Amino acid sequence: MTGRRRIFSFFVTVLLMVTIILTGCSGPSTSGGGTETTSGDSGKTQTTEEPAVKLTWYLVGNRQEPDTPKVLAEANKYLKDKLNVTLDLYVFGWGDEYDQKVNTALAAGEPIDIVFTANWAANYNVNAASGYFTELNGFLEKYPAIKQILGEDFLNGSAINGKNYGLPTNKEKVHNWGWLLRKDLVEKYNMDIESIRYKPIEAIEPFLKTIKENEPEITPICIATMDAPFQLLDWDRISDDDVPGALYPDNRDYTIINHFVAPESINLYNLMRDWANKGYIHPDAATMQNQVELMKSGKYFAASQSLKPGKDAEMSASTGIEWVQVDVTRPVMSNRETTGALLAIPRASKNPEKAFLFIELLYTDKYLKNLLNYGIENVHYKKIGDNVIELIDPANSGYNPGHGWKFGDQFKDYLMSNEDPQKWEKFLKFNEEGLVLNSLGFVFDKTNVETQISSCKNVVQAYYKQLFTGAVEVEPTVEQFAKELKAAGVDELIAEMQRQYDEWRNSK
Amino acid sequence: MDNSGMPISRIFKKKSIGNRISPVNNILINLFFVVCSVVCIAPILLIIAISFTDEKELLVNGYSFFPSKYSLKAYDYVITAGDTIWRAYGVSILVTLLGTVLSLMVICLYAYPLSRQSFKYRNFFSFFAYFTMIFGGGIVPWYMVYTQLIPIKNTIWVMIVPYLMNAWYMMIMRTFFKTTIHESIIESAKIDGAGEFRIFFVIVLPLCRAGLATIGLFCTLGYWNDWWLPLMFITEYRLYNIQYLMYQTLNSIQYLVSGSAQFSESSKILAELPSESARMAIAVISIGPIVFAYPFFQKYFVKGLTIGAVKG
Repeated sequence: MTGRRRIFSFFVTVLLMVTIILTGCSGPSTSGGGTETTSGDSGKTQTTEEPAVKLTWYLVGNRQEPDTPKVLAEANKYLKDKLNVTLDLYVFGWGDEYDQKVNTALAAGEPIDIVFTANWAANYNVNAASGYFTELNGFLEKYPAIKQILGEDFLNGSAINGKNYGLPTNKEKVHNWGWLLRKDLVEKYNMDIESIRYKPIEAIEPFLKTIKENEPEITPICIATMDAPFQLLDWDRISDDDVPGALYPDNRDYTIINHFVAPESINLYNLMRDWANKGYIHPDAATMQNQVELMKSGKYFAASQSLKPGKDAEMSASTGIEWVQVDVTRPVMSNRETTGALLAIPRASKNPEKAFLFIELLYTDKYLKNLLNYGIENVHYKKIGDNVIELIDPANSGYNPGHGWKFGDQFKDYLMSNEDPQKWEKFLKFNEEGLVLNSLGFVFDKTNVETQISSCKNVVQAYYKQLFTGAVEVEPTVEQFAKELKAAGVDELIAEMQRQYDEWRNSK
Repeated sequence: MDNSGMPISRIFKKKSIGNRISPVNNILINLFFVVCSVVCIAPILLIIAISFTDEKELLVNGYSFFPSKYSLKAYDYVITAGDTIWRAYGVSILVTLLGTVLSLMVICLYAYPLSRQSFKYRNFFSFFAYFTMIFGGGIVPWYMVYTQLIPIKNTIWVMIVPYLMNAWYMMIMRTFFKTTIHESIIESAKIDGAGEFRIFFVIVLPLCRAGLATIGLFCTLGYWNDWWLPLMFITEYRLYNIQYLMYQTLNSIQYLVSGSAQFSESSKILAELPSESARMAIAVISIGPIVFAYPFFQKYFVKGLTIGAVKG
């Protein structure tokens, strides 16, 4: 008995000791951090004599390129005179990896200076709402260059309640959908692609028929997961791809509907069912995964894709098969673009102003932008024209990260020799054609309906593949689908979306 | 030898007749384990087969155990892909060796005193270890411990230190010490004039080889297969280990094809990632050393597994 009591008292003592040690440790370190920040701030008003400021920058990508240190050394030489900063760039993989790393570092308050964020990576809205990002409106007023380049509309589109927490890349600001068709087959059968441009989806059917009848080896349509003709309806989704709730993409009204069971969608499911019965869709399409890999195999004729000028050339280069693109939907400017690629400055950054000035250089300084994007001239690429370059060793390049669209002003990038020399002009024209959607700038806050969203997602995940690929009878499946969505709380979800959307519209 | 061997074997024989399993059951049991083994081995064989399949063949015909067209291209890619993979391989080996040795040491040094009756606070320290199995601090405080309290982020140590102590392995080890080392052995060593350290290193540890091998294997597997610590703590790509490299590639591909990443460049990026067969080749290479380590441990392993069971 006494033994147990003694152990208990010992335990309590240790616990106390540990607490004292821990508080003792955290005390000085936080206050130390505080003084550091203030000294950094006051130091900024003085000029060059202070030591260079180190900026840590997290980006998403395939991998850290092997020659990154060389490129950074070059960039640092240049930045020393410009801003007196040195750069530390880290690249992490897509999806989970980037989210995990950045979100933990933000939550732990690590002093990172610049992070890449978007609606699909290190979630911009969530992290901004959690207060992890610095508000940038003050800087934007003080240094107006970025505002002039991006334009008020686009910048406002990425703001949350009128506050900018991230700086979007200046690139294509609109999107549309269409088909990529095998060029050799289009030419072989003399298909008139103008006859389906901006026409309803079913206009392509005669082409599919020709292919089905004459090319037994080839499946007319390539579908994998969400990359399906369903996207050609271009619903203006309020939340993720697999969450019900969308507006019509033509500004016709302000009513949010469950777009998975809207008449247009059901018509599409019926069309897909019809095509599947006629053999235009691969019987196993519902279980296929990777559309690009499938396209590479050369066994498919048409694929629905998100388009932009020069998409066909890009895909031809990466798949090794010649494609020709045909637009189906009209270009629109939606939230997908405005929060598709941003740079933010975390609140824990010790030098937010320097970080902002560096980001500004990415918009204004052609040399720096291209250095970070393509590497060092005559080491990684060589110039073959005024604005045209070629990689020196494309297969084994030490630096070819494909960063162009992730930051700054993409229109300042050099063009590759295999790209359309008019690419940027076409982009600008494409941007102007776009219809600005009413919902631009509206951010849906999920907190009140988390459970409904996750149960609806489960239902959608269980049904969408069969419907998108025409693998099942439409009518009974849609009926069942709608019933299960209802049980999962889709009505409350849509009502909440509508409420927030109306509130947002009235406050504008 | 002969004299003492005979009766024992006779006893065993007699016993085994009494406990013999009927032929039908025998076949059924064997069949069951054959199925289990096939289920375990087939995927590995499939991965190996895919890694030797021609890429085009893979796209057109899908996976097959016996591809109609073989190719060594995937391995060619892995070998010429620069030093990234080999460096990661080196990091994995270093971390595994160092980690296993250190971890075994820490676990044994904690477990051994707890196994001794004469150690006064053993209940408290058992509870202290047990407590960590049930309650954790959560991910952010845990992260802060290794980035701020002990600043070892971006070093080789951050892939070793968090796994050094494992309460569960410690308890297995404690039980093992308790059952194998009789108090009288220690007493006799003491009488011969050995100190505590000498007893531990010269007498106790050599007697516990089976237990050490078991826990050692667990640690080796844990360190070799770990990608979680690099994911959390390593930002310097020179310190990536092989599992993390693989995780990074597979995770990227999975994310990009999932359809939730419909930013306009995703299809272009996908085309630049390693091909299906190359990924499988990396997977094959990464299981290499562990496959060789296993037989080495195995002779102790079976013995180690029965610890805690009543011994005749």
